[in-house]
Amino acid sequence: MSSGIDLQGSFIQILEGLGLPHGVAKVVWIPLPMVIIVGAVTVLALVSTWLERKISAAAQQRIGPEYMGPLGMLVPVADVVKLLFKENMLPAKTDPWLFVLAPILVFIPVFLSYLIVPFGQNLVITNLSVGVFLWISLSSIAPIGLLMAGYASNNKYSLLGGLRAAAQSISYEIPLALAVLAVVMMSNSLSTIDIVAQQADYGILSWNVWRQPVGFLIFWIAALAEAERMPFDLPEAEEELVAGYQTEYGAVRFMLFYAGSYANLVLSCFLIAVLYLGGWESPIPVSLLASWLGVSESTAWLQVITASLGIVMTLFKTYLMIFIAILLRWTVPRVRIDQLLDLGWKFLLPVSLVNLLLTAGLKLAFPVAFGG
Amino acid sequence: MLKFLKQVGDYTKEAVQAAKYIGQGLSVTFDHMQRRPVTVQYPYEKLIPSERFRGRIHFEFDKCIACEVCVRVCPINLPVVDWEFNKETKKKKLNHYSIDFGVCIFCGNCVEYCPTNCLSMTEEYELATYDRHELNYDNVALGRLPYSVTHSDPMVTPIRELAYLPKGVLSGHDVPEGTRRAGKLPEEILEEMEAASKSAETK
Repeated sequence: MSSGIDLQGSFIQILEGLGLPHGVAKVVWIPLPMVIIVGAVTVLALVSTWLERKISAAAQQRIGPEYMGPLGMLVPVADVVKLLFKENMLPAKTDPWLFVLAPILVFIPVFLSYLIVPFGQNLVITNLSVGVFLWISLSSIAPIGLLMAGYASNNKYSLLGGLRAAAQSISYEIPLALAVLAVVMMSNSLSTIDIVAQQADYGILSWNVWRQPVGFLIFWIAALAEAERMPFDLPEAEEELVAGYQTEYGAVRFMLFYAGSYANLVLSCFLIAVLYLGGWESPIPVSLLASWLGVSESTAWLQVITASLGIVMTLFKTYLMIFIAILLRWTVPRVRIDQLLDLGWKFLLPVSLVNLLLTAGLKLAFPVAFGG
Repeated sequence: MLKFLKQVGDYTKEAVQAAKYIGQGLSVTFDHMQRRPVTVQYPYEKLIPSERFRGRIHFEFDKCIACEVCVRVCPINLPVVDWEFNKETKKKKLNHYSIDFGVCIFCGNCVEYCPTNCLSMTEEYELATYDRHELNYDNVALGRLPYSVTHSDPMVTPIRELAYLPKGVLSGHDVPEGTRRAGKLPEEILEEMEAASKSAETK
């Protein structure tokens, strides 16, 4: 397996060539990927809000945004500008500290989780050995923020929404973690890079979907619930709770919630792509194609193509899942809160436990196919 | 143990069935994505109101004999008829006539009962104003030529409603002008009926 392009190494080499000492060159490099990722995530979240509008419109035989830029592509920009210029309001008798802190507490963990999302062998901010675990632990901070928002708003709808959000996040985190655990067990690693590398050998055939179909479904359902998407959007059920915990929020603070929820959806879809759909790997491995064509894997232009194809592949898989999530939104009606908890605790939890046990058994029985 | 296994089996069956239904639903939603949007880009495109559309009421001042039948048949006695008796001609002379469209329910009773046909329905429906009192139309406003989707504004593309499209066409967007709608036109039905009654008479 080739290591692909080493962006960090070559960047530091270039700076050193310009006469900077090694330490300084490294310091210059450190903020770069973070800034790029934060910018990219913001753009990806904005794109998914646009997609949400367009696909929803298509599913209802409407046109959707059309006049703001080509195909209405400037709508998210207009949204952001509008929310930035709005007045920051603090409703009467709220708890000012909690009220201000809550959206930040929801927003930051989501963006922090992008630390572990890989776009290629070396295209990741940190290759943590506990990558997936970091994501699961970070995602459990969000319910605290939601609960804070609901509690601090001094509004019954907000409080109900916050409580529902907390209950939902906590109960769906368990099947989510168990589904992830089965994948982790198969790949012997929590690192997202290793999990993708383990699915790389036979192209589309070696992806984890085929070995973990039940886990894939559980993860998808739980991820939808975590991101508060349509069948599970009880915390903001607009017909019952106005907008749940977001009811009293406006301007930049609302924008943090809004961006956070879409960034969370994108993140969940990224992780589905990484855990089950082979991450940046293309359906037919590039190395195989290269060996057919007789091109050495270490050729510079091939590496550039592989890297860009990896990014495209990751984004394609991610947006495919986002598309399905949006389509599901217009297909499935919202579940009741008792049905939600029933599904989480009485169905997903036992099924995911059985799935985990089965995976463990299969791993012992067929170590070749299930990552011995 | 058997009972437990049966329960597990039933539960699995239900789960599979639920998954099947969600799949069916998804295919329906997906199918809708390829259909043509039904959107009419108002105000650049407007639907042509159907025949017998009950829009703003048109009033012809000179035809009115101030009989006040319209007031009597109106559910809320809305039309205001201001007349005085002219002793020389021994006729009522109409001074003012007004209908408040902020209150009118467009039931069309006045049009139906007017003995001299001075009231008629138009296809004008864009009555929005900034002040509800502007909706109180006097005889001058009532006598104005109504707005027409097909003739008044060259910027507006008139679009035919579903019932007025040729057979098999579902979208009013690219129908060439002058194509016949599906089924018989009302005048043709009338002609046929008249012809039938005539032939019955001659027999």
